Amino acid sequence: MSKKSRSKSKPSAKSSASAAESSASQPAAEESNAEPESFWRARRQEITFLTVFILILGGGFTLISLNWVDSNVIAPFTGGVAKASGVALNLIGQDIEMQGTVIRNNRFAVNIMNGCNGVETMIIFLGAVLAFPASWKARGIGLVLGLIAIQFVNLIRVVALFLTGAYYPKFFDSSHTVVWQTIVILFGVVLWIFWANRYAAPKPALAD
Amino acid sequence: MAKSDKEKSWVWVFLGGILIWILPVAALWWYATPVYNMFLTNSAENLVRLTERPKVTRLLEHDKHHLVITRTDFATARGWLDSVRTTDVHFPLIMLGAFFLAVPGVSWKQRFENLGWAALISVFFHIFSLFFWVKFVYATQLGEWSAEHYTVFWQNFWGLGKHLIDLPFKLAMPLLLWTAFYFSKLVPNLKTT
Repeated sequence: MSKKSRSKSKPSAKSSASAAESSASQPAAEESNAEPESFWRARRQEITFLTVFILILGGGFTLISLNWVDSNVIAPFTGGVAKASGVALNLIGQDIEMQGTVIRNNRFAVNIMNGCNGVETMIIFLGAVLAFPASWKARGIGLVLGLIAIQFVNLIRVVALFLTGAYYPKFFDSSHTVVWQTIVILFGVVLWIFWANRYAAPKPALAD
Repeated sequence: MAKSDKEKSWVWVFLGGILIWILPVAALWWYATPVYNMFLTNSAENLVRLTERPKVTRLLEHDKHHLVITRTDFATARGWLDSVRTTDVHFPLIMLGAFFLAVPGVSWKQRFENLGWAALISVFFHIFSLFFWVKFVYATQLGEWSAEHYTVFWQNFWGLGKHLIDLPFKLAMPLLLWTAFYFSKLVPNLKTT
């Protein structure tokens, strides 16, 4: 992180924080003594966001790795994703048979496992929304709409991957990891920025 | 404080920029992947060997996208212990590049400088990620040998560490780095409600 970018970002960070943080009236000597404090103050929002985000990511993914959570929450959820994907594939004439989380037809078979259920993107989105400075109402709206939208995109991903495996098998590996994971994560990030812009933007200071 | 239409559109310009940059960055990443995989394989091998006595780990390139983990003191019928798709470790660089190049209102010099720092942090993260992969394989994937050489605590440590590095932090790394550099630019440019 260059000093240059930091000094550039300082005014904007300050403008979004309270005006009371301004130290314009401080004597020069005090200002230089107070520099470390103003560094943290000016970046308080970023540091808080990143800390909370990292804690939620670490905590969330540790939670879903516990055996009990995996077998009682994640596995049934993954089963639901597999069933929904099977229904969607049948709707487009793929003549699908379901065996647990395995989706199969006469051309291709795929097992929907952890990592294919959209939970990763949901936790990243959840972390970014909860860590962002916004009202609880805005966070609630963001989480409900965002998590539904992420699952919808994940459903498209599973259907597209099945079709890729069935008709263009040599592209399946790259599509499975690089292409669709990038698309789903990118969608989560764009959704978060859209949410922050539309629902969670900080209110302007009132002049009362 | 009302903002002008131009200021309000910062977020949309940024989102549009991501769409514009994603394909050129992906093409560059794809082109550089074989060389980068070779670099990561060698760097991760050196890091693993720093932590072992005697130095027995060899990481070998299997094909353009995979490395295989071998040990000189451990023979298997297939000749290697496990394989890792190296390309999967670093594909979030595509998002990182697009995010950092798409930021409006920042000079190109500054964009590339910040991208350079973020990419450098990512390189260390990728090497560290492969290191955790190898340790995870040793601690949990080699049956009796794993149980003999790693206690339950260390099996859980390397298992959970690999899980956290390989999923949440790998996938969230571009957003984490972008917000570390540009959060103070995003917040004032959001539409005021």
